[in-house]
Amino acid sequence: MAAGSTAAGELHGLLALGVLIAAATLVAAAGRRVGIPTVPLYVLGGVLVGPHVAGAVGLPSIAPAEVLTLAEVGVVLLLFFLGLEFSIDRLIAARKKLSTAAAVDLFVNFPVGVVLGLLFGLGPLGAFLVGGIVYISSSAVITKSLVDLGWIADPEAEPVLGVLVAEDLVIAVYLALAVALVAGGSPVDALPRIAVALGFLIALALAAQFLAPWLAPYLGTSDEDLVVRTLAVALVISGLALSVGASEAVAGFFVGVGVGATPLHDRVADRIAPLRDAFAVVFFAWVGLNTDPVAVAGVAAFVLVAAALSGPAKVVSGGIAGRLYGLSPRRSLRTGLALVPRGEFSLIIAALAATSPDPTIARLIPAFAVGYVLVMSFAGTLAMSEADRIERLVGVTDG
Amino acid sequence: MTVYESDLPGVGKKHEIELDGDERLVVVTHNTGKREVFRRVDEASDAEKLFELSDGLARTVGTVLEGAYFQPVATENIDTVLGDDALIEWYEVPENSELAGETIEAADVRRRTGASIIAVEHGDEVTPNPDPGAGVRAGDTVVVIGSRSEVDSFQATFIDSGGGNGVDGDVVDGSGDGGN
Repeated sequence: MAAGSTAAGELHGLLALGVLIAAATLVAAAGRRVGIPTVPLYVLGGVLVGPHVAGAVGLPSIAPAEVLTLAEVGVVLLLFFLGLEFSIDRLIAARKKLSTAAAVDLFVNFPVGVVLGLLFGLGPLGAFLVGGIVYISSSAVITKSLVDLGWIADPEAEPVLGVLVAEDLVIAVYLALAVALVAGGSPVDALPRIAVALGFLIALALAAQFLAPWLAPYLGTSDEDLVVRTLAVALVISGLALSVGASEAVAGFFVGVGVGATPLHDRVADRIAPLRDAFAVVFFAWVGLNTDPVAVAGVAAFVLVAAALSGPAKVVSGGIAGRLYGLSPRRSLRTGLALVPRGEFSLIIAALAATSPDPTIARLIPAFAVGYVLVMSFAGTLAMSEADRIERLVGVTDG
Repeated sequence: MTVYESDLPGVGKKHEIELDGDERLVVVTHNTGKREVFRRVDEASDAEKLFELSDGLARTVGTVLEGAYFQPVATENIDTVLGDDALIEWYEVPENSELAGETIEAADVRRRTGASIIAVEHGDEVTPNPDPGAGVRAGDTVVVIGSRSEVDSFQATFIDSGGGNGVDGDVVDGSGDGGN
């Protein structure tokens, strides 16, 4: 408890939540005018009213624990939506083109992060986490940019969205593994715990595939029933996942997969989207509450080196994906540029890292992730809107 | 003319329609129902956005383009685009129809013809989606939905074949025969 931070005290309950959301949305509104994507701005809003900024200057601040549960709901709903849009059939149908593109995406970008993590002395687990943060592109930022810029009607939309779908599956497996690894302990002690957690997730995946279509009618027919019951199922299952040491996010993903395979898909997507938007903001802002700007400044060199290496790496891997889809050099370059933004999933990995018993990992990686997401989401969005100029610069202009 | 369909995960679906030459019309249907319509001059050029429509508006515009837009009953809008073998038809119920003075249930419309009455118009008053117990009077207009043969069967049973007409023998009722 730092001296001075107790003078004005902490905000609690409803007021804490209200102030947090208000701060997040105000910063987002300000940033939107200059074209910065909203995800990192929500984080910034949280930083401002958190203990490290508002608290440090003696203003009323919000303790992260105050909104933890609602932030967790945000994570579950973010992954629930990924699952909802994820289709095993679609993945199988596109496997020829997609599996190579997805493999290039994974085997180019993940190692870049791992090398960076090792280079900055974070150890094997730290490197594994940085690998995930650097690997995973932001579905939210990228999809929005595709629609805003009208690229959604151009041929590059297919490899871009295809790679994002493949990443969804990789991140589900990755998070399941990462939760077990971060929990720590000696590998032998951890084995039963990892077995239980993986068993739970495998059972859930099977249930999503085989039981969900059969259970779907019980989600109700009225909109009210549909929203409330879907939420109940998602929260009970993800809560159970947490209690057996599995990832609540991955559980949310599989609940989404289950619902997505039923005819309810469109209506659920339509009705739950506003809930996801609201709770996701709480999650992003909660990440901000945990962030000390001084710590982010402390890893600035790390962030810049990571951005300088991982940005071009995505352009290369995305470019290869474009070529595999038979696109021209110019459109392949655009595919690469579109995949540069990182966002919500990097922050989910950061939130996981913050729970590590290893103080170096718990402190450095979240600070790195926040700085990195801020830089990459902005740089990536800028790269997309300036694609014409970049094409001329690189000399790939066809047509 | 070829129409290409592709999935846009997280967004919706995309249809590309080949126009004359290299030109293509691109329709992006968002999961929310919103349609964005683009034009691409040729393979290499970027899509140029033409306009955007809400779900309901897109369907109405679609029926106009299809040449099928009509609105004899004052319902809100036409929400259902019917396939090749389904249609909606309007009939005025004649004096001698079996349906006149009966309820829909008593006339056993659905079981006898396969078609369903989806609205009854009596004077200025329109009853959409009438109860089976709703009565139909001579001079009312009924709106019937069904496959082509079901609607034909409805017409034969309740509209054309008035009470006691003498045609028998070679007219087989129901569906299936008749070349047009």
